[in-house]
Amino acid sequence: MSGLSISFERFRLDNGLKVVIAPDRTVPVVSTNLWYGVGSRNEPEGKTGFAHLFEHMMFQGSEHVPKNRHFEMIERVGGTLNATTWFDRTNYFETVPSVDLELTLWLESDRMGWMLPAMDQEKLDNQRDVVKNEKRQRYDNQPYGDWDERLQRLVYPADHPYHHTVIGSMEDIDAATLDDVKSFFETYYVPNNAVLTIAGDVEPGEAMALVERYFGDIERGAEIPRLPGNPDVAARIGETVRDHVVSDVPLPRVIMAFRVPPFSSDDFAVAKVTRGLLGMGRASRFYRHLVREQRIAKNVVTYVYPLLTGQSMMLVWGTGFPHTDPEALERAMSDELAGLMDASQAEVDRAIALTETDLVRTLERTAERADMLSMFDLYFDDPGRLNQELDRLRAVDPDDIRRFAEDRLGTDNRAVVVYVPESER
Amino acid sequence: MSAFDRSRPPSRGTFADFDFPTIERRRLSTGLDLRVAQLTRLPVVSVNLFMRAAESALTDGNAGLAVVTANAVEGGTKKRSGSELAEALESIGARMSASAGWEGTSLSLSCLADRLPEALGILAEAVLAPGFPRAEVERAREQQLAALRQRDMDPAALASDTANEQYFAPGVPYARRVDGTEEAVSRLEPGDLRGFADANYRPGRGGLVVAGDVDPGEVEAMVMEHFGGWTGDPATLADFEVTPRTRERRIHIMHRPGSVQSEIRVGHVGAARTDPDYYALSIANMVLGGMFTSRLNLNLREKHGFTYGVRSRFTLRSSPGPYQVSTAVGNEVTAPAIREIMHELTRMSTEGPVSDEVVAARDYAAGIFGLQLETVGQIATRASQLVVYGLPDDHFDQYRGRVRAVTVDEAAEAAARHIRPHEAQIVLVGDADAVAAEVEALGLGSVEVVSPDA
Repeated sequence: MSGLSISFERFRLDNGLKVVIAPDRTVPVVSTNLWYGVGSRNEPEGKTGFAHLFEHMMFQGSEHVPKNRHFEMIERVGGTLNATTWFDRTNYFETVPSVDLELTLWLESDRMGWMLPAMDQEKLDNQRDVVKNEKRQRYDNQPYGDWDERLQRLVYPADHPYHHTVIGSMEDIDAATLDDVKSFFETYYVPNNAVLTIAGDVEPGEAMALVERYFGDIERGAEIPRLPGNPDVAARIGETVRDHVVSDVPLPRVIMAFRVPPFSSDDFAVAKVTRGLLGMGRASRFYRHLVREQRIAKNVVTYVYPLLTGQSMMLVWGTGFPHTDPEALERAMSDELAGLMDASQAEVDRAIALTETDLVRTLERTAERADMLSMFDLYFDDPGRLNQELDRLRAVDPDDIRRFAEDRLGTDNRAVVVYVPESER
Repeated sequence: MSAFDRSRPPSRGTFADFDFPTIERRRLSTGLDLRVAQLTRLPVVSVNLFMRAAESALTDGNAGLAVVTANAVEGGTKKRSGSELAEALESIGARMSASAGWEGTSLSLSCLADRLPEALGILAEAVLAPGFPRAEVERAREQQLAALRQRDMDPAALASDTANEQYFAPGVPYARRVDGTEEAVSRLEPGDLRGFADANYRPGRGGLVVAGDVDPGEVEAMVMEHFGGWTGDPATLADFEVTPRTRERRIHIMHRPGSVQSEIRVGHVGAARTDPDYYALSIANMVLGGMFTSRLNLNLREKHGFTYGVRSRFTLRSSPGPYQVSTAVGNEVTAPAIREIMHELTRMSTEGPVSDEVVAARDYAAGIFGLQLETVGQIATRASQLVVYGLPDDHFDQYRGRVRAVTVDEAAEAAARHIRPHEAQIVLVGDADAVAAEVEALGLGSVEVVSPDA
């Protein structure tokens, strides 16, 4: 395929809300997707986890929508919905039969404009308990559950917005108040800090009229405050920093992270291709050498976070067998990183081919299209950047990989968390 | 801008009905059941080859053999090493995976449509001439053993595995892990895998599904080219009756010292995929625990804040699988959460759902069905279900009509028949020192505390 071409139209309301409409009339489905420019990076000290707790509060009703009604109404039409909070943003989304587009706009606009009248202490306490159980279930009660907390502490200095995790700390979650909800809402949940994308079976003119009708009378907010802490951070960590964890885990695991150029950098594509050539598919270096040939790892995973603030992060992790020596596993992983100096064109081509298939398949879903368009509009003020994604990757060559590996994947830019099973001590 | 009343939800437009995509069925002279769905929205294709090489046809002595065999398929063919196979696929952007479960073994392929001829040839080579070299078999075996160890230490997996052991009588395959047992897996040799694949990687009782931007006639020609000489039926077929381990309600606590939560499973033997009550029990279960706004979730999560989420589910297989409620809750609310789960199970089985709930669940089921037909992968999965469970060709054409026709009485009767709280096994993985006494005081049945290492 020559390239992607997801067509869309773009508008902006007077209150600053950015709107993207991407029609695709081949399915009777429509996805509504909202990205707010707020995430865990906006949390000051003592308020960690609040952006995510707030996301839960967004489902507790608004002035014209009673508690649980949002879920009820979307499920009633056979729709799906959810929300997620991450470092740089929070997103909310519904996919419904296309006749129910207006319902999603009514619900989303009511909580963007009229959330606070529905807030009370009982709802906050209830969702605080839900979130604490989410933290227990997904992190505290899980083998390796604290890996991201440990890693982020190593990769980012204490005053950097990525030093703490999205889920935050129990103490901070406990300390959240209704006043926090109010000020967070008034500061960040404003139309001038959001992108609304509608993708699927819609006629752009009709959709735009509905958006104007439901969102047009929401008041613009103030400018978004600067990030807390210090977003500036050196390109490299400066050394290899490590955390050796003996705990109740089934298998040894070595997790390495590197500061890499932010999502906005031209070099981010190089990080993505490098990640692919190391760990995407079974012809990748890690799988071929560590899993198939040396049998020192049960499985390997690599990924790059698309982060905006200062420096982003690339991760590689290998999980050993019960008998694997974690030091040997780490050495083997290091050797593969050093081996990138002989990266070949064929490997680069393969990583790009797999990425291309994955991207096209992802875009089969209107929900994913909408999500990506929102992201590119919020982050880059350019939803059309989605259509250049593959070209960015195709521009990467083996020299870029070598330069990137030398620059970013050396021992002077490495955070290593090693988990060792308790019984193997 | 026209004035409007924000306090009222918008009225709904006219629902544009749509058809389930046409699946062309062609039974080839070799016995292969080929089903093709031509979908031209994007230039992608999904292939799913289902063979009845199933874990449920194995015994406790060779449990895990189908899964390990499937995992070793990517280890190479008689012509190519595992890495060569991977390179051939990935250089054209194709992904292939093989997996086995209770019903059988599936090889799936995902690629851009113009790469299908090459990719299908590679898939055929992997199925018809798998190599199973020793090193790759050992790798698959070690990975499987490590995966079993991971399940042992993952509280959610341990809870589900323990629950199955308590629901089903010893010897029923579903009582064990689908990945097999440590004893059986550690004994597997290349000859076992070769023998299993040779006997059971056969077209009979299986099917090949191709969905995407393809022409059915061209697909048939391609399939005949690559699978033309492939014939026969699988030799090892499932032959068992599902019986419960007990009908007496009991509580089983797997002691995990220091746990900050209890993983809870409450359930018993459920229903088969082909149960005549399928639609009615689906609706009853949605009301109880199959949606976000289900009784269980509104009670345990939104009212009490006991949990991040709770659901109930019939796992429908060729033979009756488990029916269970699953959740994870804080230590201090473990007993109250179990009390509420039992309350909701009892209320549903004795009183059934009310009319509003049934209407909501019917609308949800009928609506979400249409939302899940966006991708070629989703269509391929549906078409494969027709093969796996032997459903009529028009099953999905009928689905929305059938689900919308379920009455309150039918849902209540299905709930009374299939949800039996007095027979439920209550399984906890958590800190017994923190939760056992309070759970025992609920008076729901005898309590057994087991240490995982015991």
